[in-house]
Amino acid sequence: MPRIGVFICHCGENIAGTVDCAAVTQAAAQIPGVVHSVDYKYMCSDPGQNQIKEAIKEKRLTGVVVAACSPRMHEPTFRRACAEAGLNPFLCEMANLREHCSWVHEKNGHTTSKAIDLVRILVEKVKRNRPLFPINVPVTKTALVIGGGIAGIQAALDIANAGQKVVLVEREPSIGGHMAQLSETFPTLDCSQCILTPRMVEVAQHPNITLHTYAELERLDGFIGNFRAVIRKKARCIDEKTCTGCGACIQKCALKKIPSEFNAGLGLRTAIYVPFPQAVPNKPVIDRDHCTFFQTGRCKLCERACPTKAIRFDQQDEFIEINVGAVVAATGYEVKGTDFFPEYGYGEQKDIITGLQFERLASASGPTQGVIKRPSDGKVPDTIVFVACAGSRDPAKGIAYCSKICCMYTAKHAMLYKHKVHAGKAYVFYMDIRAGGKMYEEFVRRAIEEDEVHYVRGRVSRIYPRDGQLVVKGVDTLLNSRPVEIEADMVVLATAMVAQPDAESLAQKMKVSYDQYHFLAEAHPKLRPVEMNTAGIFVAGACQAPKDIPETVAQASAAAAKVLGLFSRDELSREPVVAVVNRCAPPEFSTCVGCFLCESACAYQAIEHEDIKTRDGKLIKTVARVNQGVCQGCGTCVALCRSKSIDLQGFSNEQIFAELVAL
Amino acid sequence: MESLQKKARALLEAAAVKVVIGYTAGSDAERARPLFARFPEQAQQLIYDARCRQNLATYLLKPEVQALGKAAVVARPATLRTILQYAVENRLVDEAVLALAVGDAGEITELANFAALEEYLAKLPRGLTTAEEQEIARLTGMPLEQRWAFWHAELERCIKCYACRAACPLCYCTRCITDVNQPQWLPVASSPLGNLEWNVVRAMHLAGRCIDCGSCADACPEGIRIDLLNRVLAQEAQAQFGAEPGYSTRREYALSTFKPDDKEEFIR
Repeated sequence: MPRIGVFICHCGENIAGTVDCAAVTQAAAQIPGVVHSVDYKYMCSDPGQNQIKEAIKEKRLTGVVVAACSPRMHEPTFRRACAEAGLNPFLCEMANLREHCSWVHEKNGHTTSKAIDLVRILVEKVKRNRPLFPINVPVTKTALVIGGGIAGIQAALDIANAGQKVVLVEREPSIGGHMAQLSETFPTLDCSQCILTPRMVEVAQHPNITLHTYAELERLDGFIGNFRAVIRKKARCIDEKTCTGCGACIQKCALKKIPSEFNAGLGLRTAIYVPFPQAVPNKPVIDRDHCTFFQTGRCKLCERACPTKAIRFDQQDEFIEINVGAVVAATGYEVKGTDFFPEYGYGEQKDIITGLQFERLASASGPTQGVIKRPSDGKVPDTIVFVACAGSRDPAKGIAYCSKICCMYTAKHAMLYKHKVHAGKAYVFYMDIRAGGKMYEEFVRRAIEEDEVHYVRGRVSRIYPRDGQLVVKGVDTLLNSRPVEIEADMVVLATAMVAQPDAESLAQKMKVSYDQYHFLAEAHPKLRPVEMNTAGIFVAGACQAPKDIPETVAQASAAAAKVLGLFSRDELSREPVVAVVNRCAPPEFSTCVGCFLCESACAYQAIEHEDIKTRDGKLIKTVARVNQGVCQGCGTCVALCRSKSIDLQGFSNEQIFAELVAL
Repeated sequence: MESLQKKARALLEAAAVKVVIGYTAGSDAERARPLFARFPEQAQQLIYDARCRQNLATYLLKPEVQALGKAAVVARPATLRTILQYAVENRLVDEAVLALAVGDAGEITELANFAALEEYLAKLPRGLTTAEEQEIARLTGMPLEQRWAFWHAELERCIKCYACRAACPLCYCTRCITDVNQPQWLPVASSPLGNLEWNVVRAMHLAGRCIDCGSCADACPEGIRIDLLNRVLAQEAQAQFGAEPGYSTRREYALSTFKPDDKEEFIR
């Protein structure tokens, strides 16, 4: 016979204000199987918990229903109290009288009778609860970091320096990401590459870091502590072990006019190339889409030039399978191209460039060796117009958010230009100046006051060419909305920062959520900013939302700290709320018929095949089995199974049915 | 018919199969019943004509039939589709069954494996006949209340004999959910609500799986057109998810497979 104890909490006035708790207590005492029913002002308090513990011992309770707040709030509290009194914690259930009843209804008899109903269904459920025991799963102490920009580099170094193993995957031929492309960084104007490249080298040389460049995540299965990742190492067409990085092949390559991705299309590269001189690793890669040999079947000039015979035209993509315990997604961002703006000439004007392209023009390692020359004819511009919020904060363009970094880098661009071209004129069209950050506002003021950058508050409606110049038509909203027309030699659009084009498919591969702009979604915007909803996967940098370098680095270190926290334990203990396939008497052994349609329904690949055999090894039937380590307890397989052969522990069909019948 | 008998005889004589499952004359002129020919001389009892409507693939899963050894089965297109759906649902391994597809002119095509079945079915016309389409259109054209009343009236006649379940090749669970009493999801007795529950549950279990053989309606002693429920759901599954059960061994069960190009129009 069940001996159920019901404990009704007033939650101060939260519940007792609208629910007649004494009436609920009395009604609960009448439910068959209930041997103890009390109410108390705060059940979660120490005296409240002690009441539960004492009742369990004195009344020899076989189940406990705490009618109080949401289980999300205090279920662990009450289950722990039950466990301390010797009752299996999974024999304790909560009836949510607060969020589900008192907070959402007026004070009247109906509210109290709903509270009684809620208690009754939970009593019926608890009668059918079985003791459950936590599942322990081991933790693989290796982290997978996806993306080798500053976020990935920082996270990888932090984890590796703490003594744990890291696998860093970067899809470009070199790590470094966008930060390697930048000229100087705000607000200190220190050289981006100078501070980044030592870190890149540290990554390559770190004994705890395995670096895979020119590689992408192909698949990710498993769960926290036990992920299995498949990495596709794209064919570089170079034997990385024999290649010394001498560059003889690059010298010999006949194709020299391919737009360089690293130079944002402003410079040129060869078909066999290293993206930039400080690349890590400093090993070239053959761009198969351009290479003469791959397009026509003849050439192989590079192969002849290579002194160590490291060229491998027949190299195939390689798939590496690794086991990892945690994943850090640090895949970064992209910027909108100038072709996104019909009003600014659809990208057809060579002298309208993006902020990222300006970075390359201003960079000493860029296509112009740091001299600001306009792309069309190489003239040093006398007038440059910078347009902030190009695309950003514009719901009509589908980008309602602020790209966050543009105010600062536009001020920096204007400043860099003025430093290089003293007589030049720089105009900045802006909507608002958002310079929140340490030394940021001072930096913008410096651009305006010391470097005499003209800030025009207003938007640019149109840019069109006239006599070798660009006419920028806009409005100055601070001077009675006076129309402004500026003849510029070059225009720099601070185009919106957007998610990587394949961010959505990556999120689907990792089974994590993402927002409407395809930025990865953190588990909680304030309190869990680096965790993702899928346990064991963390996020760092601009793949989550637009961020500048300091913020990215801070978040990367935070993600690393979370990973290290996870790796500090050898085993993870998880709730036994998992699905199980039933067993029954012979000749059936299980009502599962082994159609395995649940296999594709499971989002976590938790369904396995299990052979039921006789003692002498003869196969009786093959049925489904749920891997308890992988199962997340979502119950999709339970709903799909036609013969109801799968049950969710703690939420079995029998329990749910009893709850419904009790209503 | 003769070529079928000859083929069956040859197969049994050569012991290529242990049993030929086909049709033979039934208790009256209008009926055919299944024949399990195990000896060459039984082959002459085989018939094939308009009466032979039952989906014989159902028998392929019976332990008694499987115990006989390799089977050949006289197959209408629906039978072939069933075999492919069995492949999807892990019921049959490849080459375990020899399908004897009977063509329009009575010619027999031996289909020894799933690939051959797929190829054969790919050549046959798909979709509903005009008459079937009109039937569906009449049903879906009814206003919601009228359609609800129609099915209520239809299903009220159900006597819960489960003949549909026995005839259905895809109702192969060893313990049907109707037989579960812990908890008792569906009431045992025949009652309006219980009948509705049973038939709706069965239709949902077949959504995205039903290969539209019509055996359920043929088997119903009350003449309820339960096949229409399945057919409409099959149409829905096809329109929404491109589900075409029975035409391939690819496992793309509409209810459990997510594809990025799923329309998801039903989510609002």
